[in-house]
Amino acid sequence: MLDIGGDNLFVLEFGDILHYYTPYTATLFLVALIFTGLVIASRPEKQVDIAFGGDAYYAKETTLSEMRFRRFMAIACGLATMGAMGSGDLFNFTLFASLVGIANIGIVAAVKSRHVLDAAYEYGIVAMVATLPLFGGAALILATTGTLSIPALAAGGFAVPLVGKAFLALGVIGEGMAPFYAAKAEMFRAPGAPYVIMCSLSSLLIFLRVVEIVITI
Amino acid sequence: MIPEYSLGLLVAFAATGIAFYALMRETDGLHRLLLTDLIEVASLAFIALIGTDLAEALILPGLVVGASELIALSEIYRVKEGYTRPPDAGLRIEVMESAPAILAALLVVYGIVLSGFSGGAVAGLGVIFYFLCCGHAERFALLETASGYSWVLWIVAFFIFMILPQYWFFAVMLSGSAILVKVMAKMSLIGTMRGGPNA
Repeated sequence: MLDIGGDNLFVLEFGDILHYYTPYTATLFLVALIFTGLVIASRPEKQVDIAFGGDAYYAKETTLSEMRFRRFMAIACGLATMGAMGSGDLFNFTLFASLVGIANIGIVAAVKSRHVLDAAYEYGIVAMVATLPLFGGAALILATTGTLSIPALAAGGFAVPLVGKAFLALGVIGEGMAPFYAAKAEMFRAPGAPYVIMCSLSSLLIFLRVVEIVITI
Repeated sequence: MIPEYSLGLLVAFAATGIAFYALMRETDGLHRLLLTDLIEVASLAFIALIGTDLAEALILPGLVVGASELIALSEIYRVKEGYTRPPDAGLRIEVMESAPAILAALLVVYGIVLSGFSGGAVAGLGVIFYFLCCGHAERFALLETASGYSWVLWIVAFFIFMILPQYWFFAVMLSGSAILVKVMAKMSLIGTMRGGPNA
């Protein structure tokens, strides 16, 4: 076992399903927790666009209902990220990762602008397609080793198929695709920091976690 | 691994390849959404290939994730394309006037006999059919309330399993009937999805 996370700080067992924190995952968990707190406390930004070639400018307003929905989705995304950080069960991890994907779609799709919705739709299709390698990877690992528990797999004695690991990483890349759509400026032109930043942060965190899982098992 | 598993895996990979190739070729937005559902089915096949009791427990969340993403994306598609007008009343044929009461009653009774999750699905199918055929002047709030309370009973049953295991039989009955009502109420909502003011 290649131990990159350090010793267990805390283990909570429900039968064979367990949650555990190593210094590595605990750090990621704390980042997600702090940012979720920030999302709850802060107000959405107010963007100001300057009309090119003149003195005129116009301010974009975020309506209350839109703000509420996006804040709810951002909090849900934070909770899902925190769950993915602490989960010691491969299938639970994949479920949390796909929940992050759904919440990211929700954060972006609340903006009623054609361009933003186009980008959100494309991202949503990628996130939906990514559930195949995500669940497929977990299922392959379960079928060949007989267990989903990460500590049990890490203890050794199992030949975890490389295809399963690759599928798992591929699935998380697909679910956490949102920041790569930053190239599509439409998606991030939508007013409403800090909620949009939650997309990037959650994607980064689940990716860091899957790297740890793939190296450990 | 056993040959059956390898064979099934081969079929699942082939299905995945076909589905991804179709998605690559397709350019129309709505058709791409439908094709992602094809990929969802292939991912369920991967889980089903495990072939144990655990597979059954894992398919359900996989299905829920797929269904919820499909619903979210179709809502985005609807808003982005600006489809606001509900579709017309559509199909009216004779069998839709005469059959629903008998068929729905049969399915609901059989569902209650089955009980549990599969019973809920069968009874829910009967209710869907009834709502589809005989209009849907139902009260959403009532359905939601029934579904919510039965969900709570279901959770209570799980706590009994964990805290007072000696009353397991009571908990089995409680969770079986609660999940029957919950699945039925949720599924019957599908039968009302055909436009109209409150849909």
